This record gives sequence, structure tokens and C-alpha cells, in this order.
Amino acid sequence: MEVLAFAAFAILVVSWLIAPSRPPITTVETEERAAA
Amino acid sequence: MPNTISAGDTAWLLASAALVMLMTPALGFFYGGLVRRKNVLATIMHSFFILCLISVQWVLWGYTLAFGPDHGGIIGGLDWLALKGVGQDPGPYAPTVPHEAYMVFQMMFAVITPALITGAFAERKRFKAFVVFTLLWATFVYDPVAHWVWGGGWLGQLGALDFAGGTVVHITSGVSALVAALVLGRRVGFGREAMDPHDATMTVLGASLLWFGWFGFNAGSAITAGGLAANAFVVTNTAAAMAALTWMTVSWLHKGAPSVLGAAAGAVAGLVAITPASGYVDVSASILIGLGAGVFCYTAIQLTKRLKVDDALDVFGVHGVGGAWGAIATGIFATVAINSAAKDGLVYGNPGQLGIQAIAVGASIVYSAVMTFVILKLIDVFVGLRVPESEEVLGLDATQHREAAYQI
Repeated sequence: MEVLAFAAFAILVVSWLIAPSRPPITTVETEERAAA
Repeated sequence: MPNTISAGDTAWLLASAALVMLMTPALGFFYGGLVRRKNVLATIMHSFFILCLISVQWVLWGYTLAFGPDHGGIIGGLDWLALKGVGQDPGPYAPTVPHEAYMVFQMMFAVITPALITGAFAERKRFKAFVVFTLLWATFVYDPVAHWVWGGGWLGQLGALDFAGGTVVHITSGVSALVAALVLGRRVGFGREAMDPHDATMTVLGASLLWFGWFGFNAGSAITAGGLAANAFVVTNTAAAMAALTWMTVSWLHKGAPSVLGAAAGAVAGLVAITPASGYVDVSASILIGLGAGVFCYTAIQLTKRLKVDDALDVFGVHGVGGAWGAIATGIFATVAINSAAKDGLVYGNPGQLGIQAIAVGASIVYSAVMTFVILKLIDVFVGLRVPESEEVLGLDATQHREAAYQI
């Protein structure tokens, strides 16, 4: 059980390292959202 | 009867009741932030009104139906109608606290459960229909199921483990939410226009207050101020944190950004999942339960969206699926090393407990789904469930309550 708990947390930490970085929302997109 | 009341237990139970009371207005803020600004007051009103309505229903007849002397394992008797006989001496369920303290602690559970459902029919249900639904649902769904599990009923006799309400609170409300979403139908413009949350900060604040109150929900369910309460407190916090991290991570990998609302929803999913298990599992199990909650609840919500079911605030995904996972996980990870009054689960050599948990999950799902469907159909005939389309477009704050949330 303890091994599984450590493994679960390790999977999350590794995921944060490889997770994609999406470009920030542009001004145009922000205005479109507001208009919607 | 000798006076066996413990000052410590009584103080902890009353404080826990107050913590759980806070959860219902916190839920109002959690849901209120997720709706459009034209419906925020109506959404908060759902929770606030239920706090008032069920507080009265519970003392008049709810408590005796749920916890009164057993009748055939199905329902409690009317012996404690209007709290007759429920006083300052201990009752049959908690030997070290006044019966009234136990009753009011249970009242707060009865209050929040129907409030959870309101997220499914947000932004389109008539207030009058909501009032009638809540009263009928509390009486014919919550009270009987609470009796089955906690009041000496057939599921409790069978050996089902539900420390703080995985079946009684979360499966019943989550499944009923799904039925309500299907019966009411989708909101006007669903799938065609943006229905983004109007105030994500309000939602995160609501989730944080829910987390705070949940310590009373789970650790208070020990009914004693001792080691069992401390364990429940620790595993509750751990599962909430783990589920928030997991939901955020899954949504990050899926959609490309670590969602703030996702972290908040994930924390709630973790709190839901650990609820039935919190008095029976150790901290390692709570990490795995939190992990499962993050993955299963997130996936369920993506599925309901793909099926175009307008469960407006994802009640089924978080509470129905989270509650079912927690109840099943209790049958997997429960151990008498944490609670000598319980039974071991699957990983400790007792696969039969998993079967009992599955029966409890199935019974809760079927009963709450059928009863909710019948109640909603009856209300639709006699009262009408939805507001007219023109009022839905204007918003429920203006049309149902003649008020506006913001003057800026």
C-alpha cells in the first residue's frame, strides 16, 4: 500500500514535468469571451 | 440511566455540526460562481433555502423517519415526531453525547444532501417546483436511505460500511442529479452558446469552505473526540489534496493548462470519495482513493458532456461517481487496524465486504433514481418543473426573485 501511495504521487510529479505549456490567451480571445 | 455524557465528545460533535452547517452556504457559493451572473442569486438561494426548509422538516418528521425505532429494516417509526423523547440524555446511537446533539449533527447531513442536487437543475428550474421537490425528496429518498444505512435498517444489518455518507449523501444526490438533468432537459442555448462560470473566485472560495466544513462531516462522524476522529481528519485532508492534484494534472494533460476550477472540483471529488471510507482506511489508502477520485470523476464529466447531458454543475460526475468509488474503495481498503468495530476489506483478506459494498451502491442508485423520477414527474404535472423560455433567457434572479446580485 505504501509503495502504491508513493508511486501515485511520483506519477503526478512526473506529469507536471512533461505537461504541455499552452500559449497564453490572446487579447482577441479574451474579448471574444467577454462578448459571448 | 446513569449520566455517561462526555464533555469532550459533546463539544466536538456540536462543533462538527456547526462545521457541517457551513458547508451548505459554502456549496451555494461553489455553485453560485459556476453559473452565469443572471442566475447567481437563485443558485445561492437554493442552498440557503434548503438550510431553512430541512432544518424544520428534520425536527418535525425527518429525524424520526431516519433514526426512529426500526420498522422491518425499511423506515424509522414515528416515536420521535417533533423530537418527542429526544432530549438531553444520550440516545441509542451515541452513548456519550446528548441525543439532541446527535440529532442536530445528523440534521446538517440531511440539509446538504438535497442542496447538492440543485447543481444539476441550475439556471432553469421554477422556484416553486424546487421547494416541493426538496421536501418530497428529503422525506421519500434521504430519510429512508439514511435509515437503511445508519438507522438500524437492512443495509446496516447486512454489514455495509458508510462512515459519513458515501451512499446516503453522495450516491443518492449524484444519481438524483443525473435523473433531474435528464427529466428537465437542457438549458436554452446549451451547446450553442458559452455558459462560462461568472466568478471563478467565488467557486474556489466555496470549495475551500466546503473542505473546511468537511472535517466536521467526516471526523465528526466518529461521534467521539478521540483517535478515530483524528484518523478521519487526516485521511480526509489527504484524499482531498490528492484528488485536487490529480484532477488538475489530468486536465492539464488533456487540455493543456492547469485549471484552477479543476483543482477546486478535484478537491471536492476527493472529499466525496473519502467520506464513506474515512473511518476505516489508513493514509496510504486515502492517497489511492484521492487518485481514483481525480481520474474517475474527471472522466465521468467528460463522458456526460460528450453525451450532451446538461448536468449544469457536474453533480453526477463529482458526487455520484465519487460517492460510488468511495463506497467501493471502502470495501477494498477498510481495515480493523483503524476501526475495530468495522471489518477488513479486500486487500486485507475479506472479499465479501466488497460484495456488500456493491449491494449498498446498487440499492442506493436504483432507489434514488426511481423515486426521483417519480417525484419530478408528479411535480411536472401539478406544478411545472421549468420556467418559461423567456424567463430562462432573462435569468432566474430577476424572474424568480425580483432581485439582482450585482449593481455594478
